[in-house]
Amino acid sequence: MLSDIYLMTPEIIVLLTAVVVLVMEMLHQPRMGYVAALVGIVLAFLLSLPLLGENTTAFSQTFRIDVLSVWAKLILLPATFLSLMLVRHELKNSNREATVYVLVIMTTLASLILAGVGDTILLVLGLLLSSLASFALVAYPRDDFATEAAMKFFVFASVTSSVMIFGLTYWYGGSGSTLLSELTLLAKSPVLVMVGFITVIVGLGYKAALVPFHFWAPDAYQGAPVSIAAYLSVVPKIGAIFALAQVVKDLPGEGWQWVLAIVAVMTMTLGYLAALMQQNVVRLMAYSSVAQAGYFLLGVIAVGATSLAIESLIIFSAAYAAMNLGAFAIVMQIGRQLENFKGVGRQFPLVGIAMVIFLISLVGIPPLAGFVGKFLLFGAAMETGFTWLVIIAIINSVLSLGVYLRIIVPMYQQSEVQKSESLVAMPLVKQVWLTGLVLTVLIGLSAQLLLANIF
Amino acid sequence: MLPIVSITLFLPLLGAMVILYLRNVAAEKIHQIGIVTSALTLLGSLLIWSGGVAVSGFSQVEQLEWMPSIGAAYRVGVDGISLPLVLLTTLLFLLTFIFSSNVRNRPKSFVVLMLLLETAAIGTFVSLDAILFYVFFEVSLVSMYFMIAGWGHEDRQRAALMFFIYTLLGSLPLLLAILGLYLGGETQTFDMRAWIENPPLAGSAAMLALIAMLFTFAVKIPVVPFHTWLPAAHVQAPAAGSVILAGVMLKFGTYGLVRFALQMTPEAFRDAGIVVLFFGIVAAIYGAFAALAQTDLKRLIAYTSVNHMGYIVVGVAIAALSLDPEIRAIALDGSVLQMVSHGLVTGALFFLVGMIQDRAHTRDMAQFGGLLKTVPWLGWFFIVAAFASLGLPGLAHFPAEFQIFLATLREMPWATVVIIGIVITAGLYLKAISQVFLGKSKEQWHTMPDLDKRELLTLSPLLFFIILLGIAPSLVLDVIHKTTSALNF
Repeated sequence: MLSDIYLMTPEIIVLLTAVVVLVMEMLHQPRMGYVAALVGIVLAFLLSLPLLGENTTAFSQTFRIDVLSVWAKLILLPATFLSLMLVRHELKNSNREATVYVLVIMTTLASLILAGVGDTILLVLGLLLSSLASFALVAYPRDDFATEAAMKFFVFASVTSSVMIFGLTYWYGGSGSTLLSELTLLAKSPVLVMVGFITVIVGLGYKAALVPFHFWAPDAYQGAPVSIAAYLSVVPKIGAIFALAQVVKDLPGEGWQWVLAIVAVMTMTLGYLAALMQQNVVRLMAYSSVAQAGYFLLGVIAVGATSLAIESLIIFSAAYAAMNLGAFAIVMQIGRQLENFKGVGRQFPLVGIAMVIFLISLVGIPPLAGFVGKFLLFGAAMETGFTWLVIIAIINSVLSLGVYLRIIVPMYQQSEVQKSESLVAMPLVKQVWLTGLVLTVLIGLSAQLLLANIF
Repeated sequence: MLPIVSITLFLPLLGAMVILYLRNVAAEKIHQIGIVTSALTLLGSLLIWSGGVAVSGFSQVEQLEWMPSIGAAYRVGVDGISLPLVLLTTLLFLLTFIFSSNVRNRPKSFVVLMLLLETAAIGTFVSLDAILFYVFFEVSLVSMYFMIAGWGHEDRQRAALMFFIYTLLGSLPLLLAILGLYLGGETQTFDMRAWIENPPLAGSAAMLALIAMLFTFAVKIPVVPFHTWLPAAHVQAPAAGSVILAGVMLKFGTYGLVRFALQMTPEAFRDAGIVVLFFGIVAAIYGAFAALAQTDLKRLIAYTSVNHMGYIVVGVAIAALSLDPEIRAIALDGSVLQMVSHGLVTGALFFLVGMIQDRAHTRDMAQFGGLLKTVPWLGWFFIVAAFASLGLPGLAHFPAEFQIFLATLREMPWATVVIIGIVITAGLYLKAISQVFLGKSKEQWHTMPDLDKRELLTLSPLLFFIILLGIAPSLVLDVIHKTTSALNF
């Protein structure tokens, strides 16, 4: 019991942080709340470090402390830290500021639980906790857009989550246990495995915004504050993908790989095709993050077949967090419409270079982080025998170039309207994209530092 | 012992960093830094040249751990195939910097991009690690995209987009082939030397990898029918961009064809050799005919590139098909030498077209006439370069094309139909020369100034090497031959 609590310390710290920040909100001390949130996240991060290399479970196998779940903490906690900085900038001195921090931290907690999930009950718990906190985050601005977005989000989540809960009962009925590790018992009843797995894809697929369960995402991102969109596109998504990887670890049979492969093809292709049509940069980035989720699935398919799978998932998650948060931070700085980007690269070279680096890293052009991540994902999928899927992913990478060039090209056009001489000073936002920039380049050049320490 | 290859490779990048760091400096100063950096880089490549190459395999190898857990490392080195191309690259970049020293439109970004491109180009030729190769291959693409989009002519955005998407689509199959070679090998490594020593794939897997690689390099070279991006990109690119694109970047394709396709999947290449040969012949003849139909001087030269690169493809295909090591060596000698000659000659021609355009603001040949009288220096330089391009003996292309045809004649006599290309090229250059430089001179061009010091400084070294390579090809051939004669596949 005591060792279980030791193994869960990072999660417990995150939970306590949420409570402390909530108290600060009640005392009308949002600034203190912000500081407490950051301190709590750093503390949880530091306490996760000693867990590296552990491979065990806690609380009678319901929570796994393995490579994936430890690295989820090491990636998602810093991502949360950066997101909180963005939130602080955008919502400073607004009504109920610190409640946003509480909700963000609760969502992170849910994502951490999902990433280490070892039991179907915990899976449901994590998903619901994450959803409940996210609805409130999206609805925060209290205008028509946000309310409508949150409403859609809510209905979508309720339906998909109930479908998943319904499907999970089949697994329980078949194996007589709620533990994921007992799923091997279902080896003789492939139909049960499939029914349950498809509903899991519905539930987690909604959270990770996989096609066809992605419809809520563009609306929610557009309605929510940009910083919340940035956060939702990174932390809950990675949590859900890792949960999927935990589920398939003990899943018998091969059929699930094909289901995932089909979902991956749809997600990548439709995500980028839809992104090609957008005029609003936030919506464009929303569809881009839908498509990126498809690439994650290449790694999930390979789980169990090759050790590259886990490595590639972790590296791509780190890369994705760095480049996506960076890109969103620049959107915060420049504006939500494509026209806002006109001439930005000429006027503010550093902002221009940073955005170009984030976007071409999202395409997967070397030597940046996105390339290393995608390269490993491709390698993992090929080793599992899904070469055709890699070919489709590669074709989609070309499509993605078209998507991201829609932002890059106007940045280097002459701007007709004379803009203000300098950017509005946004120190916090600038720190976020500079950090993202450094990480995007660094992860690309020294992926070994991560690779060598993963196991 | 200094790691001279790495120093040469990263010198331009260092120069770019220095320029990025500087604030509020005059354009002249920035161009000076660019010229000095690229001159030092040329010096570096000359030092590599003086180090020579080993009889077989790679020499002057430098390596560093990078991602040991997946077998990727920083490995660079040269052999007789890459060394002449490195020298060509550094020479062309230096001349391009001299030529572009009058750029006043955002000079800082221009020089930084060019320096980045130089590192990427050298890196592509000296990489001995497949991932590293791919990294440089792609970085060059990005820099070239911004070069065309930023400093090109009227329709630059579209051309740049087409170039980027076309060649990115083209290069991704190579990534697939690299992954295939990596997963197929016994030891999991990205070391290209290991793949060359002991080709990891066989049978249909090797054939699939070869098809993927051929697709990539066919777009890059470019081989008909994948050439449509080339005229568009060339016409819109600034002169400096065109020179680098034609002189250096097209060689990535033919270099890759030899280094990857021929050396890493030799068996499959032998089986598919006839098809590659056919594509090479079609490209050479089609390129010549298409060039004949052009009225825009820059498009004309762009299409002759398709023609010249076609000969290289023919040479490599003959080397793959032949079982006789002697014929193989001749064919490869010719192909590699052709890469160098084409870089020099086409580089010179694109510079010259750029100079004409700077003066006349048009490239339409029908608008000119009798320029030889008003601008004799420019005219004679163009005529010599054009004669070199059509393969006149005594100039750079002749020894290269001669060897390719010789090997073709001995291995596949019917394939020498490709020689038609030479006749057509001769015709189209004579037509171009007579239209632009001979005949009655038009009044509107009477005030056209002749070459100035900057332009003479750009062109003279190229002309010198074009003639030198024509008279004494053995200067370069000896180095190439050392490697090609020792290849066993």
